[in-house]
Amino acid sequence: MSPEAARLGLRVGQKATDAAALVPELATADAEPEADAAALTELVHWCVRFSPAVAADPPDGLFLDISGVAHLWGGEAELMADLRVRLLANGLLFRLTIADTPGAAWALAHHGRDGTIAPPNGQAALLKPLPPAALRLDPDAAAQIERLGLRRLEQLMDIPRAPLGRRFGAATLMRLDQALGRMPEALAFRRPPTPYVARLAFFEPISAPEDMARVTEDVVAKLCARLEAEGRGARRFEIAFHRVDGKAPSLAVGLSLAGREARRIARLFQPKLETVDPGFGVESVTIAAYAVEAVSGRQGRIAGGDAAAAEEGLAALVDRLANRLGPTRVWRAVPVESHVPERSVRAEPPLGGSKEEARTWNPEAPRPVRLFRRPEPLEQVMALTPDDPPRQFRWRGRTHQVRRAEGPERIGEEWWRRGIEEVSVVHVRDYYRVEDQDGARFWVFRAGLYGDPAAPPKWWLHGLFG
Amino acid sequence: MSDFRGRRLAVMRAKIAALESAGRAEAGVLPFGSAEIDARLPGGGLPLGRWHEVTAGGIEAETSAAPAAFAALAAAPLARRGEAVWVLRRDDLWAPGLAGLGFPSGRLIQVCARDEAEALSVMEDALGTVGVSAVFGEVEAVDLTAGRRLQLACERHGGTAFVLKRRPYGGAGRKEAAGSVAATRWRVASAPSEPAEGTFGLGAPRFEVALERCRGGRPGAWILEAQGAYSWEAGDVAHPLRLVAPVGDRELAPASERERAPDRHAA
Repeated sequence: MSPEAARLGLRVGQKATDAAALVPELATADAEPEADAAALTELVHWCVRFSPAVAADPPDGLFLDISGVAHLWGGEAELMADLRVRLLANGLLFRLTIADTPGAAWALAHHGRDGTIAPPNGQAALLKPLPPAALRLDPDAAAQIERLGLRRLEQLMDIPRAPLGRRFGAATLMRLDQALGRMPEALAFRRPPTPYVARLAFFEPISAPEDMARVTEDVVAKLCARLEAEGRGARRFEIAFHRVDGKAPSLAVGLSLAGREARRIARLFQPKLETVDPGFGVESVTIAAYAVEAVSGRQGRIAGGDAAAAEEGLAALVDRLANRLGPTRVWRAVPVESHVPERSVRAEPPLGGSKEEARTWNPEAPRPVRLFRRPEPLEQVMALTPDDPPRQFRWRGRTHQVRRAEGPERIGEEWWRRGIEEVSVVHVRDYYRVEDQDGARFWVFRAGLYGDPAAPPKWWLHGLFG
Repeated sequence: MSDFRGRRLAVMRAKIAALESAGRAEAGVLPFGSAEIDARLPGGGLPLGRWHEVTAGGIEAETSAAPAAFAALAAAPLARRGEAVWVLRRDDLWAPGLAGLGFPSGRLIQVCARDEAEALSVMEDALGTVGVSAVFGEVEAVDLTAGRRLQLACERHGGTAFVLKRRPYGGAGRKEAAGSVAATRWRVASAPSEPAEGTFGLGAPRFEVALERCRGGRPGAWILEAQGAYSWEAGDVAHPLRLVAPVGDRELAPASERERAPDRHAA
């Protein structure tokens, strides 16, 4: 709710129709609790610039533990001013307070004056005029206390503890104690995901290729030992060589299946190591694992050939090839439901793809073994109109006499892929399987139909059956 | 041939085979299922754990469609036992076509290499992998060293390799290496199909296949037909290649004129 709306007498929890009756020009937007939560998490991460200990207070607050960090800004007031400027720059609505305890800070932020800085041990005086709701009680309990005439916290503080606890419950007592600092409060501080990194530092800078290879193995082994202990594996590893001159050339390898076999991963790095320029020497090596996921351990083989099998298995081969040639150069062809020949095949990563083994192309529609990426034009085509296969054609400087032919197989365009106005019935290809005098089999097609003098149909060769 | 002489020959053959295999276990053979062809091959079938050369003449040396189809058909029973890797130089192999011939395209990993040396090293790498039963490679030439390396890679796990000799488009043919350690060399060309009586169109694909070189076997030439191609039964036959007719003695009837002519141009 915007401050303007509040000034007009609207309140949170009001029915939208009631609010609209009061303020006809009211602009409403749907509540998005998930988005709000995500934004709060973002803000929590951002606040790390002020203090390492940040705790989210859903739905709309956060605690910053600034013990021992305020002096970096020159004092609490300066810290708050800096935070205020930065939050304002982001266009956020907020209230800031500083107090000894989270409870007091919360109370002052929600019910006190914005920007209050409670002096050490001085929060009790500031809390006194606040309503009981400032104690972070649940709304019913707070309303109950107010109904009994206890409108300010100082009245609550004056009541002896035993009757207070008996009358309003232990929760009220606990919150009061937490606010006044009589009882510790545990905050759930933000815990950044522990990154999967490992580091090795050396006494002397290294630069010899064999040293580089060895430290690569060592640092990979170090990280993999941790992954192993946590029952995880990673799909991507990045290694950085921190040089004496401050530069850090890095290398990356990807795995088709999440893994943690140190030797195998180190071997993927080996061929790339020579591209790293050690300069005046490498001081330290760091490695980071990304796309970390749970990997169940495998049982070792009784014959003891487990290491060899991991080294020589299919996953290792695919990884080696994909890292050497590039991931797009290693693939498995997967069927796609499309009549257009070029679209009926999709290249997928060879491993870990969909397991639909049964799915295949219709084997009854003959398809060539070689398909040209671009159909090649045929010259001097002799064919009877309207839809007879060619009798003779010339391709790559040779004339082929067609002895046998099959077709046409008409393949229309996928009209749903384009605007409706571009769709035309003449956008068709008539495919023929033809065999020449020597037995060579071709997949030729005629693009378009006869009858339009402006756009005569053209003949193309799309593939070879062999 | 007297019985004595036959026995002597058999003993000598066994000795030579033992010398050649250098103590490694025999990986077995893949019979074509036709006595006529299997009798010409050592051990009664296509030797496994070796590498085979498939060549073609004329324009097929550049497009390599018939050799690809033949290699896929010959290796289909093999590919069913494990994974297959096809190393390409140009990305024009089309999986639906292989599937139509009865090749298990779901088990095929395609790799596009950037140059000749890389293609050969990828083949070696794939052959040294457990679970890869057939490796196809499209390369221009395999020299003696590369051939030997390929052979050693085949022996590691009994993988079988098929080298499809393929020239780059428009490129002049490279000079053929003097020798080769390939177990067999095949020359493949498409042959006119014969549709069944009373049917239209094309019949099952036919190939004119010549076994030009074969260690411990005899050369021969046949017309083979891809049985069951382009039907749902494509993958169910014992061996997808069926012998239609022998082409006759290779010495008397060399490969057809069509294949010979372009070779002369290239030379």
